Amino acid sequence: MQIEFKLNGKEYNMEVSSTLRLVDLLREELGLTGTKEGCGEGECGSCTVIMNGKAVNSCLVLALQIRGQEILTIEALEKDGQLDKLQHSFIQNGAVQCGYCTPGMLMSAKALLMTNPNPTDEEIKISIAGNLCRCTGYNKIVTAIKEAADGKY
Amino acid sequence: MTKDFKYVGKSFPIHDAQQKVSGDLKYLSDMTLPNMLYAKLLLSPIAHGLIASIDTSKAEALPGVIGVFTHLNTPSKAYSRYRIIPDQDFCLEDERLLTDKVRFVGDRVAAVVATSKETAKQAIALIQVEYEALPVLSTPEKALQEQETKIHPMGNLIHKYEYKLGEQVLLSEDCVVVETLTSTQKMHHAAMETHVCLADFDSSGKLTLWAACQGAFGVRTIVADLLELSYNKVRVIKVPMGGSFGGRQETILEPITAFLAKEVRRPVKLTLTREETIISTMTRPATTSRIRTKVTMEGILADCSVNTIVDAGAYATSSIDNTYAMSKKICKLYRIPYYEHSGKTVYTNTPVAGGARGWGAPEIMTALEIHMDAVAKSLKMDVVEFRLKNLVHPYDLDKASHISLGNAHVIECLKKGAAAFCWSKRYYREPNPNQARVRKGVGLACAAHKNGMYGGFPEHSTMTLKMNEDGSFILNTGLHELGCGTITSIKQITAEVLDIELDKITVLEADTEYGPYDFGSYGSRVTYICGACAYEVAKRLKEILLECAAHNLQKPKQYLAVEQGRVKIIGNESQSMSYRAIATTAKIKDNIDIVVTHTYHGTSNPGAYAAHFAEVAVDTETGRVRIVDYLAAHDIGKAINPGMVEGQIQGGVQMGIGYALYEELRIGRDGSILNGSFKNYHLLNAPDMPTVKTLLIEEGGDEGPFGAKSIGEIAFVPVAAAVVNAVNNALGTSLSELPLTPEKILASLKK
Repeated sequence: MQIEFKLNGKEYNMEVSSTLRLVDLLREELGLTGTKEGCGEGECGSCTVIMNGKAVNSCLVLALQIRGQEILTIEALEKDGQLDKLQHSFIQNGAVQCGYCTPGMLMSAKALLMTNPNPTDEEIKISIAGNLCRCTGYNKIVTAIKEAADGKY
Repeated sequence: MTKDFKYVGKSFPIHDAQQKVSGDLKYLSDMTLPNMLYAKLLLSPIAHGLIASIDTSKAEALPGVIGVFTHLNTPSKAYSRYRIIPDQDFCLEDERLLTDKVRFVGDRVAAVVATSKETAKQAIALIQVEYEALPVLSTPEKALQEQETKIHPMGNLIHKYEYKLGEQVLLSEDCVVVETLTSTQKMHHAAMETHVCLADFDSSGKLTLWAACQGAFGVRTIVADLLELSYNKVRVIKVPMGGSFGGRQETILEPITAFLAKEVRRPVKLTLTREETIISTMTRPATTSRIRTKVTMEGILADCSVNTIVDAGAYATSSIDNTYAMSKKICKLYRIPYYEHSGKTVYTNTPVAGGARGWGAPEIMTALEIHMDAVAKSLKMDVVEFRLKNLVHPYDLDKASHISLGNAHVIECLKKGAAAFCWSKRYYREPNPNQARVRKGVGLACAAHKNGMYGGFPEHSTMTLKMNEDGSFILNTGLHELGCGTITSIKQITAEVLDIELDKITVLEADTEYGPYDFGSYGSRVTYICGACAYEVAKRLKEILLECAAHNLQKPKQYLAVEQGRVKIIGNESQSMSYRAIATTAKIKDNIDIVVTHTYHGTSNPGAYAAHFAEVAVDTETGRVRIVDYLAAHDIGKAINPGMVEGQIQGGVQMGIGYALYEELRIGRDGSILNGSFKNYHLLNAPDMPTVKTLLIEEGGDEGPFGAKSIGEIAFVPVAAAVVNAVNNALGTSLSELPLTPEKILASLKK
C-alpha cells in the first residue's frame, strides 16, 4: 500500500506492506537504526518515536497508521550539527550507560518538553514510566531531563 | 588518598555517549552484511521429553528457506558454554547445538536459515515434532527425590561439596543458636538489547563472529573446538551491546550461529525476541541457603554452618563454580572462628542458570544478612552494633582463600553509612508500634565481593600501547565495554600517567585476531586487573618517552617530567618538547618506534565492600512495598570516575529492589514459563525508583590502579537483604523467601 508521511521534516511517499510495523519501516526500510527494539510489545520503550507531538512505541504502530502523520525519530534531535539540550544534558549528567534505551528515553523526554517545558520531577518520571533502563536506576536520567528543562544546556 | 589527580577522580561521560544520544552507535542488532541470511530457532514447548520424530519437509519446501537443521544433520558433540580456556575445571560438557532430548521449555530443537526474518519464522512453524514426554522435575527437591528420572545420564545431582575451615571450639559461656532458611529466585538479566549474533564463514575457511559478549576469547575457545577449526581461523570481534549483567558472559548463541554460517557459507544473523531471550538464554540461579550460627551472648560469632542448593536448570554451565563461589564469600565479610559449608548443584527441567551480576554473592549475602538481622533480634542487640563486633578488619586474611582481604573498610561503610542515614533514630528495635495501614521500617545489609579471579583462576591481562607520530595514543586491549564506562576509566588511568587529554587516547576492545589476550569482563576484574595493566603499560611507555626526550633535550631523564602532552625539564619550563615532536623525531631521526606490550599478573584479591540502608513503606492492605529512602556506602578504594561509579550503584540498587520485591521467572509444575515477557515480568521503572544517595569510602591501599577497587557487581549485592530487612522491620515479620510479592506479604500479616 502507498503511504505519504512526514519523517524528520522530510516528505516521504512509500509502498509498504499492511503488516509492516513502524519500527521495521524505520530500521529496515529506511536504515534509521537509532530507534531500537527491546521487547516488541510496547513494554520497554526502546522504540519510542514522536508521532504528531506524542511519544509512541513504534513497535505497536503499523506503518500504514502513519499515513499523513508527522514522525520524529532520534535522528532528528540534532539540529544543524548541534545536539539538542536534552542530548547535551544526558551526556553531561552521565545518564548514558549501555545506551540502548537512550534514544527512546530521549524521545519520551522530548515529547514531554514539547508540551510541558517546565515539568516537575514527578511529571518527568511519569513521562518516562514506559521506558525501561536496566543500567542507570533512572536517577541521572531524571536529573538530565530536569536540567535540560531548566535551560542549563 | 588526598593526592590531587588531573584525570582520575573526575567524572567523565561514557566514551561513546555522543554516538549513543545521537542514535549513531551501531549495536549488533543494527548490523547487516551483504548477502546476509536470517536464522530462527525452534524452541521446545515442553520441559522434558525425547524427540520421537521430526519432520522438516514442509519447512524445507518453503521458498526462501536455505537450510533446516535438527539433531539429525548437526554434529552431536557436547560442549560447555561456560568454558573460557581449554582444559578448564568444572566445565561439564552436557549441551549440544541442537538436542535430541529436550530438557526445558526453550531448549533448542531446530534451526532455520532463510532469506528473510519472516520466511525463517514461517518455516519454523512448519516443522513438525513429536515428543515422547518424560516426567518434569521443576525444582531441585523434586530432581533429588525422583532419581529414576534422569535429566542427564549422570543423574540430577551435578556436584556436591563440603568443607570446613578453622577449629570448632566448645563454648563454656551461654550462647544462642540461630537458624534461617532463605530462598532466592531465577531472575532475568533484562539487558535492553535481546540476544543476537552475526557470523560469516568465508571461502578461505575463516570464521568471523561479531559478538555482543563479555569474553571474546572464551567464545573462540568454544566455537573453534566445537567446529574443529584452528584458533587462528576464528576471529571473534566484540561489538557494542545493549547491556549484559552476566547474561552475555557465557557463549550462548555463537556456537549455533557459527555452525549455520559454516553450513550455508553466507553471513547468518540470529536475533532472539524478548520472550526467547527470557526463557532460552540464561537466568540468575535459584538458590536456597540454610544458615546456622552459634553466637555468644556478647554477640561474637563462634561458628557458622551453611547448606546451599543451587538450581542449575537444564544444563550445568557455570553452576558448579557458582555454588563454590557462594561458599567463598561469607568469610570475606565476617570473622568466624569455625566455618563449614556444604553445597549441591542440581539439574532441573527449568531455564538454564548461569553467570549473573555478583557471581554467587547476591544469593549468599542476601541469606547471610537476613540471618544476621535474625541473630541480632534474638540477642536483642542493635543490628549495627552486632555487625560491628564481627565484621572483618583491614588486612584480615580471607579464611577461605588464605589471601589478604586488603584495605577492607566495611566497618567504615557501616559506621559512616549509619550516621548519614540517621540509623539509630529510625530503626525499631522493638516491634513496630505503628499499626497504621502504611507502615514504615528501615533495613540495612553489608556485603563483600572480590576484585578479579586471583586465588581461584589464572589472572592476567595484556595490552599494547602505541604512540602515533602526532603524539596521540592507541591502546589495544582485550576489554569489553558493557556500558559501565570501562573504556573511559581505562583512558583516565592512561591519561593520568601520560598527562594527556582523554581525547588523544583511543582504547580498542577485544578482537581475537588483532588484539591481545584478556579473559573477559566479569569477575569484578576489569578496573582492578585490566586497569592495573593500563597503568603499567602507560608507565613503561612513559619511560621510553622520557628516554627519547632525554636524548633530544640533552638532559638525563630524572630531570624530566611529563605535562599536558609535553616533556619538560624540571625547573626550566621554557625548555620542553611536545609529544608530537618526540614521536616524530624518534621515528625519523632515531629509528625508534614507541610501543609497549605488557602482561599484568594479578597477585592480590582484596574484598570489595558495601553497606546499604533502605527505608520502606509497606501498604498492609495491598501488600505493596515502596522504597522511600536509600543510601549506599561503598569501599571503592579510589573512584576513577565518580559519576560512573554512582551510576553503577544506582543501577545496582534498581536491579536489587527488583530482586527483593518483584522479579522472578515463574515456572509452572510442568516446567512452563508463566511470565516470559515484560508484560508480566516487572522491572522497576522511573516512578518506582527512589533517589539513591551514595557515600564513597576512598582509602586506596591495594594493587588496583590509583588504589581503585571494583564496583559494578558489589553495587547489587547488599540491596535485596537491605530491602527485605526493612520490610521485616516495618511489619515485625521474618520473611526470607524472595521476592517479597504482595501475596507473600499479605499472607505473612495473616499469620
